Amino acid sequence: MQETLSAILAKAAVELPGILTRPEFEAAKARYVGPHGELTALMKQMGAVPKEQRPAFGKLINETKAQLQVQLDATLARIAEAELAAQLGPPVDPTLPSPDAGPGTYHPLTLVREEMCRILRKVGFAVADGPEVETEYYCFDALNTPIDHPARDDKDTFYFPASARFGNISRRVPNERYLLRTHTSSVQIRTMLQGPPPIRIVSPGRVYRRDTTDATHSANFHQLECLYVDRNVTVRDLKALLDYIFAALLGPDTQTRFRPHYFGYTEPSFEVDLSAAHLPKVKKPWIEIGGCGMVDPAVFEAVGYDPEVWSGYAFGMGLERLAMLLYGIDDIRFFYQNDLRFLRQFAPGPRGGSAS
Amino acid sequence: MRVSLNWLRDYVQLDASVEEISRAITFLGLEVESVQTTGAPPLEHVVVGEILTRARHPNADKLSVCTVDVGPAGGVKTIVCGANNCDAGRRVLVALPGAVLPGNLVIKASKIRGQVSEGMMCSPDEIGMGIEHDGLLLLEGQPALGLPMQQALPAGDVVFELEITPNRPDCLSHLGIARELAAWFKLPLVYPQEKFRGDISGAAARPDLLAGVRVDHAGDCPLYTAHVITGVQIGPSPVWMQERLKAVGLRPINNVVDVSNYVMLETGQPLHAFDAAQLGGRQLIVRRAAGGEKIVTLDGKERPLNGHMLVIADAERPLAIAGIMGGENSGVSSATTDLVLECAIFKRQAIRGTSRKLGLASDSSYRFERGVDPHAALESAWRAIDLILETAGGRVVGPVYRLGGEAPWQREIVVTHDFITEKLGFDIPAAEMRAAFESLELTIAREEPTLHPRRGPAWTVTIPSWRDDLDRPIDLVEEVLRLYGTDRIPAAAVQAPGLAVDDDPAVQFNRRATEYLVGHDFHECANITLRPAKELAGWTSQAAMQELALANPFVDDQSHLRTTLIVGLLEALKLNQSRGVVASRLAEVGRVFIEKDGQVLECAAAGFVMAEPVGERTWRQREAADFYSAKHHVAALAALAGADLSSRPLAPVTAAQPGWQVGHSTTAGDIGDGWMARFGLLNLAMVKSLGIEGRVFAGIFAILPERLPAGFGVRRFVEFSGFPPALRDLALVVDENAPAAEVQAKLTEAASRAAGSAFAVERVGVFDVYRGAGLPVGKKSLAFNLMFRSAQRTLTDDEVNTVFQRLQDDIVATAGCQIRK
Repeated sequence: MQETLSAILAKAAVELPGILTRPEFEAAKARYVGPHGELTALMKQMGAVPKEQRPAFGKLINETKAQLQVQLDATLARIAEAELAAQLGPPVDPTLPSPDAGPGTYHPLTLVREEMCRILRKVGFAVADGPEVETEYYCFDALNTPIDHPARDDKDTFYFPASARFGNISRRVPNERYLLRTHTSSVQIRTMLQGPPPIRIVSPGRVYRRDTTDATHSANFHQLECLYVDRNVTVRDLKALLDYIFAALLGPDTQTRFRPHYFGYTEPSFEVDLSAAHLPKVKKPWIEIGGCGMVDPAVFEAVGYDPEVWSGYAFGMGLERLAMLLYGIDDIRFFYQNDLRFLRQFAPGPRGGSAS
Repeated sequence: MRVSLNWLRDYVQLDASVEEISRAITFLGLEVESVQTTGAPPLEHVVVGEILTRARHPNADKLSVCTVDVGPAGGVKTIVCGANNCDAGRRVLVALPGAVLPGNLVIKASKIRGQVSEGMMCSPDEIGMGIEHDGLLLLEGQPALGLPMQQALPAGDVVFELEITPNRPDCLSHLGIARELAAWFKLPLVYPQEKFRGDISGAAARPDLLAGVRVDHAGDCPLYTAHVITGVQIGPSPVWMQERLKAVGLRPINNVVDVSNYVMLETGQPLHAFDAAQLGGRQLIVRRAAGGEKIVTLDGKERPLNGHMLVIADAERPLAIAGIMGGENSGVSSATTDLVLECAIFKRQAIRGTSRKLGLASDSSYRFERGVDPHAALESAWRAIDLILETAGGRVVGPVYRLGGEAPWQREIVVTHDFITEKLGFDIPAAEMRAAFESLELTIAREEPTLHPRRGPAWTVTIPSWRDDLDRPIDLVEEVLRLYGTDRIPAAAVQAPGLAVDDDPAVQFNRRATEYLVGHDFHECANITLRPAKELAGWTSQAAMQELALANPFVDDQSHLRTTLIVGLLEALKLNQSRGVVASRLAEVGRVFIEKDGQVLECAAAGFVMAEPVGERTWRQREAADFYSAKHHVAALAALAGADLSSRPLAPVTAAQPGWQVGHSTTAGDIGDGWMARFGLLNLAMVKSLGIEGRVFAGIFAILPERLPAGFGVRRFVEFSGFPPALRDLALVVDENAPAAEVQAKLTEAASRAAGSAFAVERVGVFDVYRGAGLPVGKKSLAFNLMFRSAQRTLTDDEVNTVFQRLQDDIVATAGCQIRK
């Protein structure tokens, strides 16, 4: 008996180290300790062993079983380890670039727009939206732009034929002409017609001018306008907003200045200059960035607000121009060519950095 | 408009520096586009000298050695000169040792190729008077030797190029600008002395020169005046007048024409002089042109006229296009002895239409289009008469014609100190406000205390006729602020009471879609909305094209609204490929315009392309995007808009959408119902014809902005089972063209029926699609994995097997498909 048990252990010691896979291991294990295994067969002979020898025999069997189990466990551990090692493959060269495409990039106009909207949200402006196809009423009439104003000329504004029908763009005046909005101020009108003051909106969006495309002009470009209507809004509040916006965008040393100007929809009106010390490629101390003013009482009357009660300010500027100043881009056409060498330059993050 | 500083100084004694004046103009609200200095710059040690002798330089062919007499400034000097025109006898400017010329050129006595040179004779560019450098500046009129250059050359001037806003036609004149500057610098404004003032008593009546004036359209010509001046002698205008006209960019013609231009630039009132001898029938008639009439204007061009255009005619023919330009043969010429001076007001609409129709603009039409003060017209005529009599002689004879004329001007605005303060948001002392008004000749007719004495006075402000733009109290707020100085608006913190309003749903969608696409490695692009007709033809029907066309495109390749974002993205792909830049994943979020039943709908949209990265070489190849990548992104974009892509049937793209590859692309939804999506492979031939290499998968999702959800509401947590699932696989043999989603739906229903209320069918997913050996022709196998689970217990094999068998019997019976064993 002793010999048989020793032979089983010796056989296992020879066989088990050669086993490399889990199925082989399971088969081998069955041969020793399975229901029909060799050791199991020996244990079944227990009944045939004389009673007085049984304890010693049982002890011997158990010791053998334990030793065999140690060998089996070691074998399984070795196989499990080999399995994991097989999943690894050769070590990586961490300096190889990732072959994955990307990362994606936001268009610089989106970056500038979102940054401005973020700055304005902090002081209570919600982002409003409106159609790019507009009517003469929303784009001009309601904004106190007389019928013979040059801006309304079909030399400067894109119109649609009288037959054009835009199913989801409402007309205020029967059969008025559709056009491509020349500014996002039409969003202000639609917003004011929707409900009573107070109103505090920023409306970024695409606008259109009938212009020769060159380094500073494009058939479509983007504007961002703010409108605030409440009681007792003052010129000083307007200046405070502009100071806040550009300090938030360009740093606390940034200054703005107002030059009196004329717009039909504001009174008084100003052009806004920005101190240009921070800006690349600008050689002048001040650079024009937009227009603003106190909402003209005629505009309030057009939307049914009582100008005796309500006052407000509006500010607008070109997003391309802002992006050009900010990033030092000297040709507006870059924004619409979508050369990846351009688009990749403005991703937030470390300069010159790239995920690959 | 160009404004001469010397000219302005006739009316206001400006001593401020050019920078200060420039700043004043800027902050008054008149934009300065450029400042140009003319005349001699202030250089020292540059004096008049006369070349006495000229000899060739012994050591240089192109140089001369001259002796030059600079008189009291140093006697005779020897100077080496490179110019060709340094002939003996010429008087020139000599820069003596010690002079510093522009460009920091210091003049010293030196030797040039072995010859002593004690100074330099100057060309115009060397002393900063232009770009001429081929020869010396030769002085006319024998100025005294040794005279400093400032005294030898005409006095300099400063010319401001201004951009005048349309509300300020009064500033289209030197007097208007001078008035603004006088107010800014708190200086008096001096008007020109007038002599004539309309008195023709004692003058003979000369109906033989002008027998009658008639205005047919007083609506377009509310005032017409004509004065007859006889015995004029046409010749050049005086030098001072010519200098001024030249300074602001006008070419002097003759004394009468120059006077009319001069007065226009002084007062803003355009004037025109006719040669009385040319007036057929001795008549002047303001009428509309007859169809077919023509006129040759002063610029020598023949202009066809139409019945809307206002002309000044004699009894026979048009002599001038009213308010725009005179005719070639009726104006003042050197032979003119008697003239008729027209000073009239034409309505801006009448001028504008004609000017545009003819493509003809002039200083006169520019002013009429913006509005000329009708109440000052007659005074401008008198001013012109003074200057004509002064420069061309002659005298005014009767009768004076004056037709029309507006009602006398009177306007008063009542404004309170309190109102202005309330609008400004800061306090300006009442006295300072008053002073601002008065400096602009906005006189205070009355000052009264308001009901609240602490709030300051109420003023009744008299508005002068040239300030038609001032009509309401708010207009006066701007006047006060302009003169107070916008740079003095005190700083403040932003008052930000929260309005608790959310961003517009379209804004939220744009933002989410952009973030999604960029997060999935797309490069966000911006493309022009206006596209050429031939480009869109591949994407929309011919009928729809008509609806999308602009009435007045500027260029042919920007004539139609885009119907899809894909066209721009393909253009960007091509641009990058052609520049050797590997581009694959491009996206845009923006508006598209989709025709539906004869109407165009403006839609919010997100679109993308995924091209094979042609030209890219990488050390490990990644699996390329395919139809199902496009489907994945479109479904995700739809979800961001609150739309469920699987809720609408998928229709195959047909030949009516030639941009897409039939059999490899699909459409979901209909814009008429709110949204639509289209995705798949772009037409291979179309892509190739665009010059783009490789296959391009693409997708677009478009939705009516008004259908975008304001938010997604609050989701409710749904409890799930903690017990293990039971899994079964089932392969079904179905028709080759059976859509997987339909089979899947039937299987899901059958599974639910089979399970009944016993437990849940948690998932039925496709995990294999097989065609080929072992299957009948025209069939394919779809393999599904089914997951069952109970919320109450661990399922037993037996109960699952029972249900699974029931399910197989059911699906064979109801869906007519076979189980693949």
